[in-house]
Amino acid sequence: MKSVNTARGKVEPVDGCATPASRPDGPIDPARRKLLAGLVTAYTASLVPWALAVPVTDAGHGAFVALSAILAGKRVLNSVLGQRLHAALVDIEPGFDADCQALLKQIEAQQIDPAKLQGALDAAHSSLAPLPRKLMRAWCLGLVGDGEATRCVAYENALDAVMVADVLKPPTYAYGPYGSWSNPPAAKGGDEHGNA
Amino acid sequence: MATPDSAEVVVIGSGICGALAARKLALRGVPVLILEAGPRIDRGRIVAAFRNSPRKGDWMSPYPYSPWAMQPQYKPKDNGYLIQAGPYPYPAEYIRVVGGTTWHWAAQAWRLVPNDVRIKSLYGVGVDWPMTYEELDPWYQEAEEILGVAGADNTGSPRKHPFPLPPVADPWSMIRFRERLAPVYPVVANTVARNSRSYDGRPACVGNNSCQPICPVNAQYLGINAVEAAEAAGVKVRADAVVYRIEADAKGRIAAVHYYDPDKTSHRVTARQFILAANGIESPKLLLMSTSSKYPNGIANSSGMVGRHLMDHPSSSLTFYADEELWLGRGPQSPSSINTMRDGAFRSQHAAYRLDFTNISQVLSVTEALIAEGVYGPEFEKQLRWRAARQCNVKNVLEVLPNPDNRITLSSEKDALGIPKPVAHYSIDDYTRRGAERSKQDFAKIAELMGGTGLRYSPDGQFANNQHITGTLRMGDDPAKFVTDGFGRAHDHENLYMCGTGVMPTAATMNSTLTAVALALRTADHMVPAKSSGADNGGAT
Ligand SMILES: Cc1cc2nc3c(=O)[nH]c(=O)nc-3n(C[C@H](O)[C@H](O)[C@H](O)COP(=O)(O)OP(=O)(O)OC[C@H]3O[C@@H](n4cnc5c(N)ncnc54)[C@H](O)[C@@H]3O)c2cc1C
Ligand code: SF4
Repeated sequence: MKSVNTARGKVEPVDGCATPASRPDGPIDPARRKLLAGLVTAYTASLVPWALAVPVTDAGHGAFVALSAILAGKRVLNSVLGQRLHAALVDIEPGFDADCQALLKQIEAQQIDPAKLQGALDAAHSSLAPLPRKLMRAWCLGLVGDGEATRCVAYENALDAVMVADVLKPPTYAYGPYGSWSNPPAAKGGDEHGNA
Repeated sequence: MATPDSAEVVVIGSGICGALAARKLALRGVPVLILEAGPRIDRGRIVAAFRNSPRKGDWMSPYPYSPWAMQPQYKPKDNGYLIQAGPYPYPAEYIRVVGGTTWHWAAQAWRLVPNDVRIKSLYGVGVDWPMTYEELDPWYQEAEEILGVAGADNTGSPRKHPFPLPPVADPWSMIRFRERLAPVYPVVANTVARNSRSYDGRPACVGNNSCQPICPVNAQYLGINAVEAAEAAGVKVRADAVVYRIEADAKGRIAAVHYYDPDKTSHRVTARQFILAANGIESPKLLLMSTSSKYPNGIANSSGMVGRHLMDHPSSSLTFYADEELWLGRGPQSPSSINTMRDGAFRSQHAAYRLDFTNISQVLSVTEALIAEGVYGPEFEKQLRWRAARQCNVKNVLEVLPNPDNRITLSSEKDALGIPKPVAHYSIDDYTRRGAERSKQDFAKIAELMGGTGLRYSPDGQFANNQHITGTLRMGDDPAKFVTDGFGRAHDHENLYMCGTGVMPTAATMNSTLTAVALALRTADHMVPAKSSGADNGGAT
């Protein structure tokens, strides 16, 4: 079984595709450390109170973190992954931070409910309309960039995998011993996630 | 500078069919050389490339692309290799590497049902096969023992000996389908080349749910297993050798084949016998390219049938939400089917079909849909979990009848080595479309029995392709109508044999590879009959 992986399917990435060009995945320099709380308004604070203690490097990164928390609606966002996604997105689009700040300002000024955000941006033909999807695609699918230039920055840690991790493994990761999939799925949290 | 070379038997193509025919000959003491267009690849690197891939839904994306051995690719944009002449698109997919396309198959390893080989006699459509189902049974058995096929006896395909492996344990989702559809439909376990226990040195499945595009643990039998077994039996494999011409001598015997290496240096290889096993598109392409003054229509093509009668299995489908949590994605991808419409008197009127349930994780498609819909905030996670737990899909696998106008021809466009690109002429006739229409009744009933909501039928008249390239080298007794005889030997050339799905005269309703492997083993046996019977059967323990 030459070059066959273990039953757990652990394989190290072999090319650079999972790593953005710059790789700020170390801890944030303490001298530059700020907390998100200092950068957002009360409305954002009410939407994502749990995110306020997240360290950020500057206002641009702060707007990215705040928007990410608002859009993903997830209590804990992996801040190391957040830095990598942010770096990759800025790398592709120099105006990315400015767009994030503009969108955050608009959400705060108009107190937009995240559930209605896309509809509002589309209705106004806003130039910021593509931004929420860009952020969600990055967090949930690990993807940044378009067409042939699309890069994969995350897979196992992407939110789509994390949000179902109590029930499913991402494809290529072993589910468990032979036949374990015949048992009923033991989802944790059941009703909390609601039956629509 | 040409390098002369020779072998007793030269096989063109190291896919599952070529490799297993080569292995069988080698076990009978025959020196065999396989010429393979593509490079060798490594399973671990494919797994890593998939995890890093920006296109997780594109099963070609983790596979390397070799400019000298082009293959059709459609994402992120069509690479223009397989040219579409229409009227209906035929986006075939195959991989040109050592081991061939089964690197990313789903390992569904079905037999025909007995009447599939007599649809002309019984139903007045298509064409009969030049053999009976009973004649195929021992070759199926041998193929199943090599591949390690797991299955149960309730699939409608009779057998004299038991399956080598018991059926693969059902995912929970399929247990529920079976229970809830039972009053109307028997849901059966697919017969699959996937280990339900360790077999022949390969481990039992551990449910990675990435059978397509790659099984990380070697629990699913692939063409590369066939290549390794062939090499262990003494077969030599030359990678990066793109055969571009088959040369016949004055008596009509095949004398040599010519191949390019990636630098376009030409090499000529002679042999006593040849097997063409480059798949249902590349094999006819190579025959059509090999023209000479004596063979102006190409090799093996006095009938004009090479490349014609192209068939596959189109699918339409229904996606819906069940009224309970099924959580597709736990266990292997292709677990279950309904086989009740694979045969019946209706075949005189409309296409037969198999109904196929997927167990592919729905997380990716649900996430993409939610992002497209602009669902954000806490609702996103709630919806993701609700939909991923309940979304399921059933598709039909429809029979297509042989039609001479559906065919592979040569383009005036050339690939990087100056070799013509293939052209696909394809259509889906009313017989098949009527089958699709009929299957909508089943889709609706299945959704009803599962408490389905949010029903999404694939658009009318639009079909997904299943990549079972059939018919282009079809076998039959009449040299005016068929390319090969019933043993896969070219009617026109006594030392040229063909293996692969292309030789199948009809497509029936099952994924084609097991039948193609059974036929390939039968062809090898015909080329070099066993001295004492059964000496090399199976090979797996
Ligand atoms: C996504 C997907 C899923 C599938 N799932 C199933 C399934 O579940 N069950 C099933 O039965 N089938 C399935 N199939 C179909 C299956 O993969 C094929 O039927 C099978 O691979 C055919 O085997 P083959 O040996 O004839 O051809 P291939 O596997 O295509 O091998 C042909 C080989 O010939 C080589 N070659 C081509 N041209 C040349 C040349 N000029 N010179 C030298 N070598 C050449 C190629 O590089 C290749 O290695 C699937 C296919 C796809 C794409
Ligand atoms: S489920 Fe996993 S282990 Fe099983 S065959 Fe598929 S990829 Fe291999």
